[in-house]
Amino acid sequence: MDVREWALIAFTILSQMAVGSFIILGIVYFFAARKWGEEEADRLSDRALLAIGPVLVLGTLASLFHLGNPLNAYRAIANVGSSWLSREILANVLFIGVGAVFAFMQWRKISTSATRNVVALVAAAIGVVLVFSMSQIYMLRTAPAWDTIATPITFFTTTFLLGALAVGAAYVANYAYVQRKEPGCADTQCEIMRSTLRWLALASVVLVGVHLVVLPLYVAYLASSDVAAANDAVNVLMGDYGVVFALRLVLVFVGAGILGAFLYRNASSPGREKILGNLAYAAFAVVLVAEVMGRFLFYAMQTRIGL
Amino acid sequence: MANQLAFYFDVARCTGCKACQVACQDKHDLPADMRWRRVAEYSGGEWVRNQDGSFTQNVFAYYVSVACNHCEKPICQEVCPASAITKRDDGIVLIDEDKCIGCRYCEWACPYAAPQFDEDSGTMSKCTLCVDYIDAGQLPACVAACPSRALEVGELSELRAKYGDLAEVAPLPEAKLTEPAMIIKPNAKTKPVLAKAGRLANPEEV
Repeated sequence: MDVREWALIAFTILSQMAVGSFIILGIVYFFAARKWGEEEADRLSDRALLAIGPVLVLGTLASLFHLGNPLNAYRAIANVGSSWLSREILANVLFIGVGAVFAFMQWRKISTSATRNVVALVAAAIGVVLVFSMSQIYMLRTAPAWDTIATPITFFTTTFLLGALAVGAAYVANYAYVQRKEPGCADTQCEIMRSTLRWLALASVVLVGVHLVVLPLYVAYLASSDVAAANDAVNVLMGDYGVVFALRLVLVFVGAGILGAFLYRNASSPGREKILGNLAYAAFAVVLVAEVMGRFLFYAMQTRIGL
Repeated sequence: MANQLAFYFDVARCTGCKACQVACQDKHDLPADMRWRRVAEYSGGEWVRNQDGSFTQNVFAYYVSVACNHCEKPICQEVCPASAITKRDDGIVLIDEDKCIGCRYCEWACPYAAPQFDEDSGTMSKCTLCVDYIDAGQLPACVAACPSRALEVGELSELRAKYGDLAEVAPLPEAKLTEPAMIIKPNAKTKPVLAKAGRLANPEEV
């Protein structure tokens, strides 16, 4: 593992987190606006929405460090016809573009909310295409450890898990801000935050369940394969990096499962905003570390058929 | 002009001397750790119990010299995001360093480890089939250097008519993955593709 691999880890994790956050933020906004009105939903979401931009830009800049010849980086979209890598970069650029247009419209309340919703839906769809393209890059017929359905499943699980917990942490930070700057709105915002965090906690418990079902099945599948390169990948995962793999599973379970369950409980009754905030931050931090470890292992399992 | 140039390799003739590899490095002025052509050593064997209770060994070893196979279905070209890899009318697959972004995706994809990263230029490089020699009507450096004449270059269809169409043996990958423009003449000990009878004995050299 050198700088180039870490660049890919940073890029894929940050972009997936950005896509997940964007979509989860949109879903929450939709329900919050129906129940509490657009103004309160805006107050909940707008600052979090603007925070996605820097995450995306940071991820994209990180991807440049993966290249041996970054001066030619603009050529990365030259083969959209047959390379999933080109498709990924194109989707990434479009997601940044349409996402930025939407964020600007939403920030300045340009046009009607119906029009803004359409722009947001387009951006979300591009985001899904982006994560799907990312997963297809690795589904090479010469890379058996990557060429399984587990790659798209885990990429999308990571996307929504990090998205849910990043958005949860953003709501907590936003609430602290509202309390200081707009105390008149704090009670309603507190109610929205608690209600939302409950759903996000539930989502993260379900998503960690997906991880904990898919990962063992995936390892068992590779181990039982008669392709040598697939068996080699299992040896890397369970042998060379066995401790990292175990720690990754424990951390994601603790972060999204246990802290997620605590988050759900504490969000269910009022007056626990302080502990709720700490739980949301901790769950996000622990799961982020776990997902970075998971992506590290994903790249470490790069084994190829042949020489 | 040829439709698809190809390498022919005779396992029985190869002594593993690596003159092909060194001639290639010399011709293209490659650094010592970059080998566009490599000689893989595949070996194995075990003790076999005879009917009378005695044991005999069936140890074997053979070499396979591999460069870029200028595949008919080049996965490197398929995945290259920069469209930096092209296939000429005579089948030669070339990397245009001016277009390469150095993402190393072709390195992940190629089952023959043909595209190799050049740390100095930050771009990928690989066997060109000595395209300048070919255009001048000469033999590639590796073919010309082989003291036992185990390597040949020629039109794929003509080589197939002469030597058959075997393009996969252990430890090479299955030919269906990329349809390599290569023909292999096995010797008596050569194991079929995907065999688990032996192992690559010199992984650090390929």
